[in-house]
Amino acid sequence: MTAPHDPPDGPRRSGFSRRSFLKGSAAASVAGAGLVAATEPLAPRKPETYGPGEHEIKLRVNGQDRLVKVETRTTLLDALRDGLDLTGAKKICDRGSCGGCTVLVEGETVNSCLMLAMDAVGHDLQTVESLGENDPLIESFVHCDALQCGFCTPGMVMSSLACLNHRGQPTKTQMAHDLSGNLCRCGTYGRVMEAIERTAKSGKPAGKAGGR
Amino acid sequence: MKPFTYVVPHSLAEAAEAAAQPDTIVKGAGIDLVDRMKERLVTPAQIVNLLPLAKDLAGVSVAGNGEVTIGAATTLTQLEQNAALANPALAGLRTAAAVTATPQVRTRGTVAGNILQFTRCWYVRSEAHKCLHGGRGPTCLAMTGDNRYHAVLGWQDCVRVHPSNLAPPLLALGAEFTTVLGDKQQRRPLAELFPKDPRAGVPEHTLQPGEIVIAVHVPPQPQGTRSSYAESRERESSDWATTACAARVVLDGGVITAADLVLGAVSPIPRPRPDAAKALLGKQPDDGLFRKVADLAYQGAAPLSHNAYKLTVGKATVREALHLATQA
Repeated sequence: MTAPHDPPDGPRRSGFSRRSFLKGSAAASVAGAGLVAATEPLAPRKPETYGPGEHEIKLRVNGQDRLVKVETRTTLLDALRDGLDLTGAKKICDRGSCGGCTVLVEGETVNSCLMLAMDAVGHDLQTVESLGENDPLIESFVHCDALQCGFCTPGMVMSSLACLNHRGQPTKTQMAHDLSGNLCRCGTYGRVMEAIERTAKSGKPAGKAGGR
Repeated sequence: MKPFTYVVPHSLAEAAEAAAQPDTIVKGAGIDLVDRMKERLVTPAQIVNLLPLAKDLAGVSVAGNGEVTIGAATTLTQLEQNAALANPALAGLRTAAAVTATPQVRTRGTVAGNILQFTRCWYVRSEAHKCLHGGRGPTCLAMTGDNRYHAVLGWQDCVRVHPSNLAPPLLALGAEFTTVLGDKQQRRPLAELFPKDPRAGVPEHTLQPGEIVIAVHVPPQPQGTRSSYAESRERESSDWATTACAARVVLDGGVITAADLVLGAVSPIPRPRPDAAKALLGKQPDDGLFRKVADLAYQGAAPLSHNAYKLTVGKATVREALHLATQA
């Protein structure tokens, strides 16, 4: 928190700072109010405003800071898929009903289709791409044949990962609860639960390394 | 979505000031709002993001006298899991939070967002449908169309239903809410958040432009209070209720000494049913009694062409809520 442009009058209150929010030349043109506050700490602060045009934000995805151009109306899902080429999260219903776009924000499952990309700034994001081929959860999905058409699978994997992270050795009821926001048209729920169970029994931590 | 300006306030005062500007909507998680913006049902020029203020607007606190204050930006998951709410008097509220939507929605969805959610009526939520409530046409299309999820009680020229899970248990508990408008804070009964005369075109809530809900308060409950929430729906998750009932009872020596009943999902606003609740007073919990109370709760109902089932199912939901609230 020692960047020269951080306001000197205390810690970030919002999880936003210009350093994390904006990079490069965009900062000067968009965050004018914030820059004034930085040089004149006694002046009343004004809200920061962004958009409606395009600007660059920094998202922390899978442990890496990534710059991405978004509009204020860009959803996190579109920023991941179109901006960062992380196409694991799927756009299916695009209305928060199916769970195909599930990613983890601070370790909790969210529908990235209903979250504005701007709202994700300053948060740790984890997508299915973070799980490599040898990840115990992915291995279990393959071993248990926990997919048919595969379209819901990235979302299923992320909800399964959150379930394992939160519960360690989840019961079937807990798995059903934690997967209840993910629809599978092929009806592979049983095998997804088997994959979670197998991963839990393996004792190997899922989602820790191996992806990108 | 149409383009908009995104405002990040540093304080509630800044948020209130920005919220008062024309063509502005405040948002918490934005779950319902983003959905409606994608449908072009709302096209604000400016959105004020309240999430940066979550430090002040989220969380649950219990005062010395037992009054519980729930920040407007508290998520449903936080509500469900908060240890301070783990008491039988507030069980209805916790249950209602726990069964809402999906884990993904509960992770982000806020208390105020749930209460202020726009109706799920599929005609008004579809821009292509020329519906009266949406200001796009001359009649309520649900009145004669597919109205299986619509109102059976207290409707006039529009048969939308209020979709909030949290409103019925909060009303049953006598909750109040606090708002800011400019530099004024105001606290009033939650019942006043909903219009008395919910005709077509009347907004779902009575907030003034620029007014921001910042907290909900549950007053101290007498010894022996229990609350419950029951709902029917077509799917076990990812769904809205077809009928819902929140109950609050005070039991003293096995006798019901105070009671409140509020119906959800069957009327354009959450509907307290004081006459039905009164029939519980001085009586011992009993299924025969609950059946009579359920009948009273749906007295005066006027089902539509495709939703008469709501009377049967809704009465069962009332009985379930009462059994949950009174069982040992």
